[in-house]
Amino acid sequence: MDGYALYVVGLLTAGGIYAILALALNLQWGFTGLFNAGIAGFFAVGAYVSVILTAPESPTIIGGYGLPLVVGCGAAMIASGLVAWGIGRVCIRLRSDYLAIATIGIAEILRLVFKNESWATNGPRGIAGIPKAFEWVPYPWNQVAFLGMVLATVLVIYLALETAWRSPWGRVMTAIRDSEAAAKASGKDVERFRLESFILGAAIMGLGGAYFAQYLKYFGPETSDPTSVTFLVWVMLIMGGSGNNRGAVLGALLLWAIWSATELLTSMLPPDWAVRSAYLRIFLIGLVLQVVLQRYSKGILPETRPAVVGTSTRAGATTGNAT
Amino acid sequence: MKKLLMSSAATLALAVSAQAADVKVGSVGGITGPIAEIVADVYEGRNLAAKHVNEQGGMFAGDTLVMVPGDGACDPKAAVDAATKVVNVDQVVAIVGASCSGETNAMVQAVTIPAGVVNVSDSATAPSITDLADNDLVFRIAPSDAYQGYALADYVLKSGVTKVALTYSNDDYNAGLGKVFEKAFQEKGGTITSAQVHEPNKASYRAEVQTLSGGEPEALVLFAYYGSSGISITRNALETGSFTKFFGADGMINEETIKQIGAENLQDAAYTTPGADDTTASYTAYAALASAGGLRNAFGPYVPNGYDATFLMALAIEKAGAPDRTKIAAALREVANAPGEVILPGEWEKAKALIAAGTDINYQGVSGEIEFDAKGDVSGVYTLNTVTPEGTFKTVLLK
Repeated sequence: MDGYALYVVGLLTAGGIYAILALALNLQWGFTGLFNAGIAGFFAVGAYVSVILTAPESPTIIGGYGLPLVVGCGAAMIASGLVAWGIGRVCIRLRSDYLAIATIGIAEILRLVFKNESWATNGPRGIAGIPKAFEWVPYPWNQVAFLGMVLATVLVIYLALETAWRSPWGRVMTAIRDSEAAAKASGKDVERFRLESFILGAAIMGLGGAYFAQYLKYFGPETSDPTSVTFLVWVMLIMGGSGNNRGAVLGALLLWAIWSATELLTSMLPPDWAVRSAYLRIFLIGLVLQVVLQRYSKGILPETRPAVVGTSTRAGATTGNAT
Repeated sequence: MKKLLMSSAATLALAVSAQAADVKVGSVGGITGPIAEIVADVYEGRNLAAKHVNEQGGMFAGDTLVMVPGDGACDPKAAVDAATKVVNVDQVVAIVGASCSGETNAMVQAVTIPAGVVNVSDSATAPSITDLADNDLVFRIAPSDAYQGYALADYVLKSGVTKVALTYSNDDYNAGLGKVFEKAFQEKGGTITSAQVHEPNKASYRAEVQTLSGGEPEALVLFAYYGSSGISITRNALETGSFTKFFGADGMINEETIKQIGAENLQDAAYTTPGADDTTASYTAYAALASAGGLRNAFGPYVPNGYDATFLMALAIEKAGAPDRTKIAAALREVANAPGEVILPGEWEKAKALIAAGTDINYQGVSGEIEFDAKGDVSGVYTLNTVTPEGTFKTVLLK
């Protein structure tokens, strides 16, 4: 296969996994208005759980059961969901900014636990030799197959969220986001809906973590660093358009492409510039973000309300947009 | 105007033909990220080696050796992305790098081993890299941590200190080193009064230092990066009067340490680093070349290793006879390991002639003799760095 094509495969794989994370955040923030600033925590839970179940036996980590990857992914989702349930029971009542503080704290606690409990996770040394889906396929088609799996997952999650968005369940979510008091007055169990959204989003984030661990074939505490997970996913969603599933996917792919491809430009500079050009690249990324956010303040693809069946004659179908 | 156009067209044509004959080698490392300052110096070492190759006839029939940078940011995600680019878009023949252990681990497993690209890391020291199923594609000329912990333990005991307090930063490098030191020091008969892991980037370490000073230790053994916790802990230890004697490793060796703590306070401090044996001919040759090349920190942590990794890679590609990914690994062992005619740093012309004549060569690096074992590892040479009253580091070989 051509080199550029293989690069695009790598680019889309990482971008696709970020799209999974951005979709999950869209469910929590775009739909329900839950300010989850602890994405990295759920990401790490998913990754470590799947690695411990699927990796071959090793003296450096617990587990190493060598189970099938599907089991690992499923367990990652369940574990992240359970962690979210525990957190949600305590914190979900908090208003958005307080929830943000609580989730940041919990994500940090999780990261430090994974980093310090060396008997279980090999601590800061990380875990190498993680099995990856489709490794038995000859190179480079194994990379393509893995990409296919990631993109199929993105598609499934996207379709599921689109359906949810149009369903009564999705409408309750946006109602809660826009006015909690009004939703409560209509007899909706606000807390339960918020908890559902939080758990579901966290489970998808866990799946993202499991995929990333497979893709890198290595996972350590530095992989779930908040800047390159939590912060980046937030920027992707805000840039793409919060409240819009297509926007979440677009934002993830676009930002990752900018992040990655700017290096192709800066690496053309003379080698003596190598050290400086890396920082030039970070500057470029910041600049692009600024321009995009200035130009499209609601994201590139802003939220659009699905038309309500049977009320298409009324103009009210588009009222109540988020402000 | 016409003349100008023509001449620029001619330059362009020249440039294009020169580009067609580039031999590209990826140069991946943590350019940004937690150890950016150290890595900046290592890149100078790598680029100097490439410059020597190109000044003395270049690769093959006058092709240029081009180092394609890739920023792995000491982050596995960034490293995999950077390596995907250099391997696929730039179609590099081989890779020098990456810098950190986690970064290297992910890069080789996710990208370079599947693609069949050889890499030589100049500073990844994690023991886990030794045992990767790598199809003989992963090499490094930074010795595994296990060796340095033993070397420092030996030195501390020899300097007459038998009771120490130990603290290490909770990152892949320093924690590994700390654990090896703890084991080695006790095996050799020393006493560790207390051993403590600390989280980097805290504002103050007074509480930790208080705990560590219990049990009357004679010195503090500190494994940390200077910027994230090393300087703070040293400062807190001095402020509280708990310790005046310090031992540590390469994470502390930076001018910033002296600038912030003060040379007068560091007269009883000693830090080891994988370094260079200053009695060898390679050392002398490199020292002269580095000062001529204007390196800021020629003997800084892993800078000689960066030079060696690049020079060796160029030799291996030359030996392979063509920029062919599949032939580099075998060639790398041939040019690095004894027997063979000895090649010193910078002796590209001589090496090129010998390779052309079919003579076996043996590169003797600055960072050590560089004899790859079956796993692609080397055993190292360590130096001891102390602070002079004038505020500079003095480097001597640790024997």
